[in-house]
Amino acid sequence: MLFDLRAFLGSPRGRWLREQLAGILVALTIVALLTVLLAAAFVWLPIQHVTIVYLIPVIIASLRWGAIPAVFAGLSGIAGVAYFFYAPFFDLRVQSPAQIADIVLFIAVAAITGRIAIAAREARIRAQAESLRDALIGSVSHGLRTPLAAITGSASILAQSREIEKDEHLASLVHVIRDEADRLNGDIQNLLDATRISSEGLRPRMAWVDPEDLISGALSSKRRALAERPVNLSIADDLPLAYIDATLIQSALGQIIENAIKYSPAGSPIAIKAEQAGAAIRIDVSDQGAGVANAELEKIFERFYRGAAHATNIPGSGLGLWIARALIEACGGRIRALVPDHGTGTTFRLELPVKTQPAADENADE
Amino acid sequence: MNDSRPSVLIIDDDPQIRRFLRAGFDMEHFAVHEEPTGQGGLRAATLRRSDLIVVDLNLPDIDGSNIVERLRAWSTVPIIVLSVRASDEDKVKLLESGADDYVVKPFSMVELVARARAAIRRQTRTDHGEMVVKSGSLSIDLANRAVFLDEERVTLSPKEYRLLQVLAQHAGNVVTHNTLMKEVWGVRHIDNSHYLRILVRRLRAKIEKNPKQPQILISELGVGYRLASGSEAR
Repeated sequence: MLFDLRAFLGSPRGRWLREQLAGILVALTIVALLTVLLAAAFVWLPIQHVTIVYLIPVIIASLRWGAIPAVFAGLSGIAGVAYFFYAPFFDLRVQSPAQIADIVLFIAVAAITGRIAIAAREARIRAQAESLRDALIGSVSHGLRTPLAAITGSASILAQSREIEKDEHLASLVHVIRDEADRLNGDIQNLLDATRISSEGLRPRMAWVDPEDLISGALSSKRRALAERPVNLSIADDLPLAYIDATLIQSALGQIIENAIKYSPAGSPIAIKAEQAGAAIRIDVSDQGAGVANAELEKIFERFYRGAAHATNIPGSGLGLWIARALIEACGGRIRALVPDHGTGTTFRLELPVKTQPAADENADE
Repeated sequence: MNDSRPSVLIIDDDPQIRRFLRAGFDMEHFAVHEEPTGQGGLRAATLRRSDLIVVDLNLPDIDGSNIVERLRAWSTVPIIVLSVRASDEDKVKLLESGADDYVVKPFSMVELVARARAAIRRQTRTDHGEMVVKSGSLSIDLANRAVFLDEERVTLSPKEYRLLQVLAQHAGNVVTHNTLMKEVWGVRHIDNSHYLRILVRRLRAKIEKNPKQPQILISELGVGYRLASGSEAR
């Protein structure tokens, strides 16, 4: 068969067509019913301005099915009025200027109310789609993470086992399972974050946070990826508190650290420096990797962008830095990549605005 | 069954999760009882003695936080919550309704056992009136209100001591910012959470070898603080 009608009607476009046809049919039926009712009334009482009644099917159709059935409702309404109620009767022509004005007014009012009704309908559909997407994200994260939790948990028990520890090969296989499960979990988190950022925007919960905690929190979340990497930490004394969403900034900083680990040679040190610079708390994360070309310094923060030199040999989604930037900017901060003044590698500079510090506890020594 | 073994009640609807939890706790010499539903879990909690309850936050029949509240109405048994996707608010709410701690799936058995042992120790400390809490090279004598770092006495201000005392009572488990604010400053100052950040900094300067890389007073960002339990602290 050339055209499989049943398959087409089952497809999303087929369903849409069926719904529109049903809408048109219902709209025309309402118009016909109204016309019969009006005609019955007309015998007793010649009503002057019947067009207003025909707004009803237009509004119903635009609320329920959208623009196309609404246009049908409007046009059939006009036809009904012209044919039955406006002289000459039983003829689509209209003679009286007042009645022509009536029909023009009807078209204008129907167009405006129809538009409003269609906007209301679309807002409702969008809200439904959003709650559907939220539910989907929730179930994906639950559905993927639960088996992953069983894998990670089981591997963590095997890693503890003395028998397995004795066998070099088995021990390394257990580590493969554990590390790859970790990586998968990170990827799931990135996907969830990315959906959250692009769909609903982030709603940061701002609070006063000690920047030292951000750094030690981010480092401990990347403990396993860091493994034997030396970390040169230099944190200025008496850094001011930052007014941010701690969880968002910690995970952004984690992304940057992970990025630094990924794009620098194994065993090379990573430097983290935190200080106050003017009206900002500045956190620099520097690696000794191959570095980023000047032309790419901005581009690496774009979604799905992967540096030309690494796209093929280092696995990655191109989401990490884009997520980090979105998280940081949601808290009023900034991030950029710099080529360090001396040596190789890349420095990622995170800047958090310094707000007026809150009043200290007057009775701190009690 | 050997009565001297601590017993753990596991409430989780996923059979694979229950399977590895059973293996993990069994290897740590716990007696394990499993329940796949919240109703069954609540019933088992009343019928048998448990030294620890591990409950999943997303059970099909009853919400995990509801289980925590219902258990806390009559029992002080240590409770650890497992969750897949809990926001900071969810974690705080769970802790403030009485859970001892939480771990986020996926987690390692080592992590869960550390939290579980800490919560059980909290319970036995209260039962036996033990008054000395150790965390790495730090030792807190709750009876004499004395704190020692490598055997050397540390002088703390009353608020610094109060903060350390509350954390020590829950050593190894997280205590929420709100709880600490209430315990140290009282409810009137609950919104001045920056007091806590500054007090923590001062306390770390006195008890941490390297205050900028804390090993004893650990921050759980967005939730609270934790005094590292013996094995975690270096």
